[in-house]
Amino acid sequence: MKRFIVAFLAAYIFIFFWGWLLNGVLLKDVYAQTPNLWRSQSEMMSLFHWIIIGQALVVFAFVMIYASGFAGGGVIAGIRLGILLEIAAIGMRMGFYAVQPFPGNLIVYGSVGGLIEMIIVGAIVGAIYKPGAPSFPPGPS
Amino acid sequence: MNWKKFFIAFIAAFVFIFIFEWIFHGIVLKETYAALPPGLMRPAEEFMKHFFHWLVLGQLVFVFFFTMIFASFAGGGGAGAGARYGILVALLGFGANLIQFAVHPLTTRVLGFWGIGGLIELAIAGAIIGAIYKPSSHTTT
Repeated sequence: MKRFIVAFLAAYIFIFFWGWLLNGVLLKDVYAQTPNLWRSQSEMMSLFHWIIIGQALVVFAFVMIYASGFAGGGVIAGIRLGILLEIAAIGMRMGFYAVQPFPGNLIVYGSVGGLIEMIIVGAIVGAIYKPGAPSFPPGPS
Repeated sequence: MNWKKFFIAFIAAFVFIFIFEWIFHGIVLKETYAALPPGLMRPAEEFMKHFFHWLVLGQLVFVFFFTMIFASFAGGGGAGAGARYGILVALLGFGANLIQFAVHPLTTRVLGFWGIGGLIELAIAGAIIGAIYKPSSHTTT
């Protein structure tokens, strides 16, 4: 439990700063090209707590999935989980691209950024979390 | 990896997700989406003519990797383990939805429906995969 909390906090701190760097700095100009898709800056700031809670939920679920099925694999297993989950997320992003008028380059940048993010989150969680008994019976890979 | 069972589980989960999302997003939430600010969603005709294949491709990618994660690391746990895995992935997805809510002009109604719908959808999809997928067994006599 202690390692679960430490892994969660470490991954959360990374994801918070990465989210700020990627979305708040690197992609700022790309977002500015599609103002009708976004809330105003002041409105976003008033809803900022939802970003904090959302990021915490993402990291919590990631650590739970890792602890349930991937425990004991270390950094490599964490990275592998991160990559697989992010490719699944890219599938979801393609669905949003189909129904919302996002520019294609934003989907590509978001996916590349997401892949880097999840690889590092996986490595952090894999390095810190050590297993008790796995909840899922591990299958052969 | 038991590839035969993997592909059966993948196809069954994909068929379920395709039909569920068509009913949920295309029928149940149709009026809710129509009430969103103009320009946030693609017009229905544009979506059907030019972007529908992205939706199907995205669902295929998502379900393939959703199945892959379960089969690689947790296969053999049955429908219960599959449903639990689906709920954890739905929690991760809802975290991402909360972030979307903070930055896109979505309504709390859309957010609430996405949360509940995603939980039901992925718990069932996970249960389908868990019920179908069994790891390869090597028996010796």
